Amino acid sequence: MSDKSINISDVVNLPLDIKEQKKAIEQKAPSVVEGKVKVYNQDNDNVKQLLEMLKNKLNRQSVISLVGCVHCGMCADSCHYSLARPHDPTMTPAYKADQIRQIFKRHFDWTGRIFPWWVHAKTPKDDEDLNRLKNVVFGTCTACRRCTLNCPMGVDTAVLIRLTRGLLTELGIVPEGVFVVSKDQWETGNQMGVSQEEYIETIEWQEEEAQDELEDPNFKIPIDKEDCDFIYTVNPREIKYDPRSIGYACKVFYHAGESWTMPSWGWDMTNFGLFSGDDKLGGFVAKNLYEAAKRLRAKRIVISECGHGYRSTRWEGYNWAQYKQDIPSESVLTTLIRYIDQGRIKVDPSKNPLPITYHDSCNLARSGDLTEEPRWLLERICTDFREMYPNRADNFCCTGGGGALSMVEYKPLRMEVAKVKADQLTATGAKLVCTSCHNCVDGLNDLIKHYKLDIKVVQILDLVADAMVVPNKNEKK
Amino acid sequence: MSEFLKVLEDQVQIVALIFMATVYTIRLIWMFRFKAGKEITDSVGSRRVGVAYSMMNVVMPWAMESARKNLNFYAQFVIFHAGVAVAIAATFIIPYWPEFFEITPIMRIFQLIVGAAFAVGVIRLIRRITNPSMRIISTPDDYFSIILMTVWFASGVFAIPNEYKVSEWPLIIFFSMTTLFLVYVPFSKISHYLYYPFTRYFLGKTMGHRDVFPRKRGGEEPAGL
Ligand code: SF4
Ligand code: SF4
Repeated sequence: MSDKSINISDVVNLPLDIKEQKKAIEQKAPSVVEGKVKVYNQDNDNVKQLLEMLKNKLNRQSVISLVGCVHCGMCADSCHYSLARPHDPTMTPAYKADQIRQIFKRHFDWTGRIFPWWVHAKTPKDDEDLNRLKNVVFGTCTACRRCTLNCPMGVDTAVLIRLTRGLLTELGIVPEGVFVVSKDQWETGNQMGVSQEEYIETIEWQEEEAQDELEDPNFKIPIDKEDCDFIYTVNPREIKYDPRSIGYACKVFYHAGESWTMPSWGWDMTNFGLFSGDDKLGGFVAKNLYEAAKRLRAKRIVISECGHGYRSTRWEGYNWAQYKQDIPSESVLTTLIRYIDQGRIKVDPSKNPLPITYHDSCNLARSGDLTEEPRWLLERICTDFREMYPNRADNFCCTGGGGALSMVEYKPLRMEVAKVKADQLTATGAKLVCTSCHNCVDGLNDLIKHYKLDIKVVQILDLVADAMVVPNKNEKK
Repeated sequence: MSEFLKVLEDQVQIVALIFMATVYTIRLIWMFRFKAGKEITDSVGSRRVGVAYSMMNVVMPWAMESARKNLNFYAQFVIFHAGVAVAIAATFIIPYWPEFFEITPIMRIFQLIVGAAFAVGVIRLIRRITNPSMRIISTPDDYFSIILMTVWFASGVFAIPNEYKVSEWPLIIFFSMTTLFLVYVPFSKISHYLYYPFTRYFLGKTMGHRDVFPRKRGGEEPAGL
């Protein structure tokens, strides 16, 4: 089923592409002019800069993970890259982390400073080496944290990968996709460069659709309404490619009698800072949401279905932005559970009869706290829910995580290692795979197409909307 | 017993231990000079429970897929580290409580554990040399450390009976190696036991705070599927 294994040196030696960077400089892109997004400058001493930044960025947690690896190799079997490419030792998580560990040892750790050869400590020689480092940390790891949870020492390899990505981002030594998406998010406040006009138009369109579906011409998607129970924040993918999910949310919130609003600014709960390692971008985006909630005096922030969006908004964002959490932020899954639990909506599982399995998003299961919530819902909205194995925090990445979907140059490798997920899906015999993440939807769809699987991707909100028992107008009255 | 062996077993070991403790203290000070990242969000789970769970990970092979699916490797880990504990204990028992090893069954159990640890050391060295994934991440320090430990275990097997009247050589070799070991360890990956509580503490704190630790049920394919 799988294609011929690709040659890893073709990936690691992919040249640095800066066409988009040049274009942004020519067009005087505000984020570039203001120095928010860094561009590559070959006249700089980039190696020296990287070392200086590394010194400033090291904290106790990262240092512990840098010194704590005993090279036991236990992590090799936990990574989908190494499992799908058993012949390729460079896929071993410890090897990937060693690319930054070696630099750390050479400059900060005593044995490495005195006897570098003894512990394989080294300094990148030039920008070519930095480019290879870029290809390792962006191209051969989705920062899924599966190796972290399988390391007996507790070494957080994914954190080291992110640390390295952050250093390279500061030098503009990044895949083109990372540059473009970062720029868009700095300039428009959202990852896909959706304009304010486009956002409002899409919401109005969904409002009209919902009016028809709900048979209520007075239904409104409230924008910037103050004092609501929550602000609903979405993934720009929903605005741009899949607005149906907003329609589903409308249906559920309407029948639950919810008081909610969507902010006109600060609505993108995704956060490319998580993937690029840029804490400043991460803080900026997260703060937009927190401030929107404050401005509108909402009682909580509800995050639509997105793994990294949830992780960034609920967890990392407050730390990046150094923003004291003042109101709760929750996944829409929690909101849905509340509705069903309190009887605010009624569901009939027989409306979703097809065999269905659940894919845990890495960011929900390994870096968040949501493994049982989706299962609680699936057991109530479907008749034939079957687990895939392994599951929960042991589940495998959809292979589109860590920003991989935006880095097209690594797609052939990504598809090769997706064999692990494809086999997992096939073994369930399910006709539907549900995930609570828009990013995973695209990652799964890519591999389903590539491996020609007979399975369709759905999300929880779609299923809840489908399973809802809608009271007829008279009953409601 | 010769004066040389007496000094080697006692004063030399104490000096080497003090050296190791001093280097470790400096090492810890160095580590603590890096600022700790702070989590400022409201928690869902308990940091304390997460840390406890993370620390206990070592005795819960079922909690981690890499151990669960590799029970053979986990058994090797247990034997190897039991060998370390027993061999270290022997370095104190021989000079300060020699009567203990006059109880033959106890002495034999010590020998057996250290001997088994030696066998594991050999297996691990072979794995490191022959497995490409291991080879690519292995440094001279990794090879030297495993060789040092394995040879030390071998010397321990012969030293534990403490038969200096028959020959002092097994004891001289064992205690010389212990000295080398104590002096080398702080600069090598063998120091991982110093880092272990910290790596696991930080991971446990983050994961406990977010309710990822303790791990939720499920995860494995039921038998027969
Ligand atoms: S499992 Fe942990 S300690 Fe072992 S090689 Fe991997 S990262 Fe290093
Ligand atoms: S974080 Fe995930 S993809 Fe990256 S090395 Fe670890 S297991 Fe592999």
